[in-house]
Order: sequence, then C-alpha cells, then structure tokens
Amino acid sequence: MATGVAVDYTTRRQRNRVLNDIHLSVPKGGFVSLLGPSGCGKSTLLKVLSGLLQPSEGTILVGGMTPVQAARNRRIGLVFQEPTLMPWKNAIENVGTLMLVADRGRARNDIRDHAREMLRLVGLEHAATRMPHELSGGMRQRVAIARALALDPEVLMMDEPFGALDAITREDMCDFLLEIWQRTQKTIVLVTHSIEEAVFLSREVQVMGTNPARILEAVPIPLPYPRDEETYARAEFGEIATHLRRLLKHGHAGKTA
Amino acid sequence: MSGGLNRILPAILLIAAVLLAWELLIRLLHVQEFVLPAPSAIAQTMIARQPELFAAALITSGEVVSGFLLSALVGIALALLIARFDRFGRALYPLIVLFQNVPKIALAPLFILWFGYDLSPKVALIVVIAFFPVALDMLAGLQSVDPNLVALLQSVGAGRTEILRRAQIPHSLPYLMSGLKIAITLSVIGAIVGEFAGASAGLGYIIQFASTQMETSLVFAALVEVSILGVFFYYAVEAFEHVYIDWRPKAASQP
Repeated sequence: MATGVAVDYTTRRQRNRVLNDIHLSVPKGGFVSLLGPSGCGKSTLLKVLSGLLQPSEGTILVGGMTPVQAARNRRIGLVFQEPTLMPWKNAIENVGTLMLVADRGRARNDIRDHAREMLRLVGLEHAATRMPHELSGGMRQRVAIARALALDPEVLMMDEPFGALDAITREDMCDFLLEIWQRTQKTIVLVTHSIEEAVFLSREVQVMGTNPARILEAVPIPLPYPRDEETYARAEFGEIATHLRRLLKHGHAGKTA
Repeated sequence: MSGGLNRILPAILLIAAVLLAWELLIRLLHVQEFVLPAPSAIAQTMIARQPELFAAALITSGEVVSGFLLSALVGIALALLIARFDRFGRALYPLIVLFQNVPKIALAPLFILWFGYDLSPKVALIVVIAFFPVALDMLAGLQSVDPNLVALLQSVGAGRTEILRRAQIPHSLPYLMSGLKIAITLSVIGAIVGEFAGASAGLGYIIQFASTQMETSLVFAALVEVSILGVFFYYAVEAFEHVYIDWRPKAASQP
C-alpha cells in the first residue's frame, strides 16, 4: 500500500545524507517494523512517510497519494513516543481533537460518540473523563492510539510508541497492539529499536543501518498469528532475533555501502 | 486543616516575636514616635485613621485593578501578535526588550505632565511596568508547545490560527498565569510610585504626605495597608489560576 520509492533526505545547507536510497513497500493490512539503532534515521523515514518532512529526492505514495495529501485525507494515523495529549482536555476530548479539525462541520455529539467508541476499542471507556495526568503512561499511549484510530486511517504510523514505558507495560502494549491490528485490519508501520518487539509484532522487519543510513535487509517474520507469550519461546523466534542482531551489529560497524 | 495550621505556625510565632521585641526596644530605649513608632502605636493609628486609610486603599485599588487589567490585555495581545505573525514578531520583539531596559519609574513625571493628577497617569505607569512579564511569559508558553502536537494538527489540515487556538493558547495559560502573578505585584508598585510622583489621594499619597508631616505612625499604617493590598491581589490572581487552570498537574504535595 505504502510504496516508498527511493527516498533521500538532505539537510538544507550541508547536504547531509540522513537517508540514502530507501526502497520500501508495505502491503495493505501488513505490519512492518523499521528496526535500527538510534540515529539511523528510522524516525526521519517515518516522518517522511507520514508527510511531516519533505524528501529531497524520490517519491512516496500512500494509497496512491503523496503523504501530505494522504494525511489530509485522513489516511495516516500518527503515534509518537510521547503521547502528546493535550493536558487541558480529558481522555475523550483528546481522542476527538483531530476529528474536530479534520471533520469540520461534523456535529459535536457525533464526534463524541465516535471518540467514545474508539476509547472502548482501546479498553479505556471507563476513563473517558479522566485528565491525562490522572492516567498511567500505558493508558495515555492508548488514548494517543485511539486518537489516531479515530480518523479511521488506512495506515497507523508509530514512532517508538512504547519507548517511554516500562518493560512489563511494553509487553502488555504489544499484545494490545496486535489485538487492535487484528480487529481493525489497519496497515501498521512501526519504528522501534527493540529486536524482540519488532520480531514479536511484525510480519516483516526492515533492518536499518547507519553510515550512510539505509535499509540493510527486509526480513520476513514467518511466525504464525495470533502471537502470545508462547511465541517468545519458539525456536524460530530466537533464530530470527539472532539474525537481526547480527545484521544490526554489522550495519553499525561497516562503513562501506 | 490542623496540618495547614502547623505549617504556618512557625511563621506566626516569628512575627509575634519580632513585634514583641520591637515594642520592648522602643519602650526601653524611649525612641521618639516620629522616628520609629512602636507596633502598638501603629495599630492605634490604623484603628483611629481607618476611614481615611480605607478610602485611600480604595483609590489605590482602583488604580491597581485597572492598570493590571490593561497590562494583561496589552501583554496578551502582543504575545499573540508576535506568535502569530513571524515578521511582525521579529520587528517588534527587539523593540519590546529595548523598552524593558528603560527605567520605567523615571517616566512617572512625564505621565503626570501628559495625563494630569488622577487615575490615567497611574494606569499608564502600571501598564509600561507590568505588561512585559505578561507578554514574555505568555510568548514563552505559546512557543513551547510540543512540536509533535503541532505536527499532528497540521497533518490533518489545521492552519496557523487554528493551531494557535487549539494548542498554543491553552498550552500557554499556565505561563500566562505566572506572568500575571509578577504583573500584579508590579502593578501595586506602579500605583504607589505613580502616587508619589503626583496625586491628591491614595495610600502612596498618604505615605508621602504623612512623612512630610512627621506622622511616622501614619506612614507605617499606610505601609501595612499597602502590603495587605498587595497580598490580597496576589492571592486573588492565584485563586483565579486555581479555579480556571485545574488541568495543570499539581505539584507534589508537601509532607
């Protein structure tokens, strides 16, 4: 669905190659992770894919449109590492904020009902009137996911969405995300630096390396869904994780392209 | 509630001790009242001259409130303009900072010259003194909104004004409140200085007039009244913040 063709990104004056010749295609309904060390440009790539940054070369199509157009047409749902909620609004109002902008003229009650439905989807209906500072980190991130889903996008683009959470909450959130994915059939692009997270969640992992930033290898993850605690114990899980770890080490050290 | 009392009890005891020592020293050393009146003498004056002091406090309060509200308005408007219109902001901001370095109190005689002896010169002086922290703090708030939140709104098609309205202004309110708290104390100072420069009524006028008449206990009585006024206004602003900006995570409560 999202066919990224040769994305280069250069900063204005120095022409630093942040991303070099990236080819990427994400099938509709797929779950693709961008895995790499910090500073490898994976977040930049996500920004380019979601239209927050303009690529200096190359073209990207999200559902046949440029990312900016796709975002305007609510095809893209964004989730960042921080929940970036509005602290002055309660959970349900936060879920509705983007709809207020995107669906001008839609009745407030209608937006509220839809926001409530999204909260139910992420299991937070009971917390609708709570303020962000009254929610735990994991709950806040669920609200952020509900806000992204409220636009009914085709692609959910997530930039290390669980990076700020503790390890136990992280695993909970991974289960939760897979459940959401199964239920909503959205395409998901996830940026992460956790090998386990990438393997556990995705259908395909794009391993990224630095110097210059590029995609080292696209690794399919043939583990069957639904995945749960057992998945971590499977032999293939360990094999794939080891393979990814080697790739990352190699890509990190090797300067030659 | 007893916890609250326990917290302020040491302060109350200290004040009582200072007042007692002050009273004793004045009596033991036979200090003349026009040099330094004893607390008891000040209290007597406060009671005896209360109608006069109260009327003066009302006049000064009128100056403080109108000056403060106008400062808030000017400060907020400037911050919004600078945040919304980049080019205008780049032109205006250095001028405001430059102006901040003018000793505003020195403008008091000019305002008397231009606006006369009543309310308007005091209001003008308060505004030039107090708009700056309002503008500066609110601007800091407008500009420190999470860029990801802005990106999110932009991605679904929000324009500059809509982002200002939906994200930047609400985000800036706690910043605005801390600017307003500075502004309200500056407003009291501005009113008193304005009255020093030329007035026919008000607490500042009483302080100046009484000191030329060697009525030192009246000077102190008016000083006490000004201080009460200042504290009252400060807490009024804080109470306003408490009621209207309840979303700001409360600071960890003291033990």
